[in-house]
Amino acid sequence: MSSKKQHSIFYQGPIPAQKIADDIQKHSAKTNIGAHSIFLGQVRQDEKNGEKVVAIEYTAYELMVEEKMAVIREQFFEKYALTCMHIHHSLGRVAVGEICLFVFTSSAHRRDAIDACNEMVETIKKELPIWGKEICTNQSSVWKQNN
Amino acid sequence: MGIKVLFFGSVTDITIVSELSREDCADTDTLEKELLKQFPALANKKYFLALNQQVIHENCPLKQGDIVALMPPFSGG
Repeated sequence: MSSKKQHSIFYQGPIPAQKIADDIQKHSAKTNIGAHSIFLGQVRQDEKNGEKVVAIEYTAYELMVEEKMAVIREQFFEKYALTCMHIHHSLGRVAVGEICLFVFTSSAHRRDAIDACNEMVETIKKELPIWGKEICTNQSSVWKQNN
Repeated sequence: MGIKVLFFGSVTDITIVSELSREDCADTDTLEKELLKQFPALANKKYFLALNQQVIHENCPLKQGDIVALMPPFSGG
């Protein structure tokens, strides 16, 4: 099924708001969809050792992410009645205020899209070998930790 | 061909390089011991091992062409 086709989730740099709008627009042709759920992760200006965070630099074990995502996708399509699911995660530098994660699920009825979207965000943070390094104003850096 | 070792995230603060290769190594326990000798600071570091993109929790035999990764806790999103 084409909706289950695997693409790399990685996007070089920040995810532009225009891409999000364009992706929503593309789905108007899929008339069996009745609900979309979207999660956007934005780089927050935390403070580390008294220095403000200005950006996060993302790196990943890309091959492993690809292999894991293929399995995770299958599990999600089995668990939820999804029409489609698109995931984009930034690689490289993303400045404070920019979007670094875009999860987009669609289904006939709202519950599947909402629940799948929420679970996918948690899964990405827990299961995918991706690392964020917070870069501060004075060029010092701290490896990000997920809660 | 050898065995490829990959380092990720904060582990690279210790190793400086992001990958290296070994001509030969019997198993992952032996490899870890060798890496600890080369990078003593790894002893205080929390990381997982992956063998050919699969997380492993016990000693595994290694063969030519295998890829071993040292990965600290994930922090994507």
